Amino acid sequence: MKMGSANASSDLSSEVEVDAFRRLFPLRFHERHLLESIRPDARPLGKARDTTLALGAVASADGSALAKIGCTTMLAAIKMEIMTPTTESPDEGCIAIDFHMPPICSPIVRPGRPAEAAPVVSKQLSDTISSSGMINLKELSLVNGKAAWMAYLDIYCLDADGALFDAALLSAVAAFSHLQIPVVSLNDDGRIVVFSEENGGKLENEPVNKEKRKLKLSRIPFSLTCILHKNYILADPTAEEESIMETLVTVVLDSSFQLVSLYKPGGPVLAYTSAVQDCLALTRQRVKELQKILNEAISDMEVD
Amino acid sequence: MAGKSGATPTTYSPSPTTQNKKRPPIFNDVDWVRSDARGFQQCRPAFLRTGAVNAASGSAYAEFGNTKVIVSVFGPRESKKAMMYSDVGRLNCNVSYTTFATPVRGQGSDNKEFSSILHKALEGAIILDSFPKTTVDVFALVLESGGSDLPVVISCASLALADAGIMMYDLVASVSVSCLGKNLVIDPISEEERYQDGSVMISCMPSRNEVTQLTVTGEWSTPKIHEAMELCLDACSKLGKIMRSCLKEATSALQE
Repeated sequence: MKMGSANASSDLSSEVEVDAFRRLFPLRFHERHLLESIRPDARPLGKARDTTLALGAVASADGSALAKIGCTTMLAAIKMEIMTPTTESPDEGCIAIDFHMPPICSPIVRPGRPAEAAPVVSKQLSDTISSSGMINLKELSLVNGKAAWMAYLDIYCLDADGALFDAALLSAVAAFSHLQIPVVSLNDDGRIVVFSEENGGKLENEPVNKEKRKLKLSRIPFSLTCILHKNYILADPTAEEESIMETLVTVVLDSSFQLVSLYKPGGPVLAYTSAVQDCLALTRQRVKELQKILNEAISDMEVD
Repeated sequence: MAGKSGATPTTYSPSPTTQNKKRPPIFNDVDWVRSDARGFQQCRPAFLRTGAVNAASGSAYAEFGNTKVIVSVFGPRESKKAMMYSDVGRLNCNVSYTTFATPVRGQGSDNKEFSSILHKALEGAIILDSFPKTTVDVFALVLESGGSDLPVVISCASLALADAGIMMYDLVASVSVSCLGKNLVIDPISEEERYQDGSVMISCMPSRNEVTQLTVTGEWSTPKIHEAMELCLDACSKLGKIMRSCLKEATSALQE
């Protein structure tokens, strides 16, 4: 394998050799790049992939968003349903978050054999969203002790190419920013029904939530996953990088850069505090980018 | 908060359920306007794109009105360990829905019936001899269900197979027609499907003029069924052209 001597003209045999080298010695292939402070997709080590966000992708949902980080694609949608609040917190609603990896998203997922990563990401998302305090559950209350909103947030991974949690969290917060709560009223049977001018015009069935169509989101969480490998820190890894270099650190900061959570689920590299601080600095940078992307997506929607 | 049925309290949707409603009398008239203002024999505008999922060998996205599906193709790859030796390739299909695909939140489970129909619709078009001992997986996810889901999945799947470079005799285009009272409506939306008296779905290979699958349900008279089949076949050949041009666009974009 003579990678260095590869001819400048697009010589097919050398191209095949590079591809074979990449498959046979993936770690050496990546380390050769790291020596030059570059990654196989031409990114510098600390740079995240291009990120896009589109709100309102699902017409049948109350709030939805499509997030793309590089090739990793997430579709999040919220459906609002009615529940009876618990006796412990009669003035609070609830959020149920589920992360799905359907077989379309990756060659490693097969029908009937769900991906191991899915329940892990699901739990991480629930923990992050509840502990960040982004949503005040009291805002989901409708009739004290009688009825409250249950927000079902389902996130589907449509294309899995690394940094699944980051993309899923971005799509989740974007779906909540897009969420438009339906106007509902209490009918004669004590059930909550969607308020419509045509048949709900009777006075006794006044809407119960005329004012609260949007949730007030405070302290929105954003995240960045990094790979630690030897002394290198690689931001926003691809699936290939994640499979070769196994130590991951995920930092979640809120919009005012306060630490929400920090995951380092084992891995062969033991991180020095300096490395963790570098990850934090990279995340701070990334949060600024993501905030801008989210704000642009929201204002794009308001223009339409 | 884990969204498991055991942990969460029972909930209900505030939207009025349309399941038990009687058929609106409008459908019995000879003349009525479809809710998306289409003519009875007019299909919804189709949006098709290949290469929707990078992780797959081939993939396609299809959008017909509110019906949105993604199909990924993996392989040819090793068959399951338990499989017997086979000197022709195997085709494995799976169709599932997202929980938010339907107006009322669903379970997002596999649709076994659609999976098997998809398999039968594609089987005849694929040159299975070209990948002996291995399996090609065709997985479909219905992102949003807006009616005629299955025909859209079938057409989209054949496009994804072509994108994956799987050898086929021809593309498979699929279209359904519903019988509503005195009228035949092509490419029905969910509401029209709910109140239909009968339906015909044809999957065919347009350039070879061969039908891979024909499904008829409900009550039909002989002249009506002939008319419906003519309508389907005609729409299939038009859809086939759109699919072909989608593939051509993708390759010419690649060459530039």
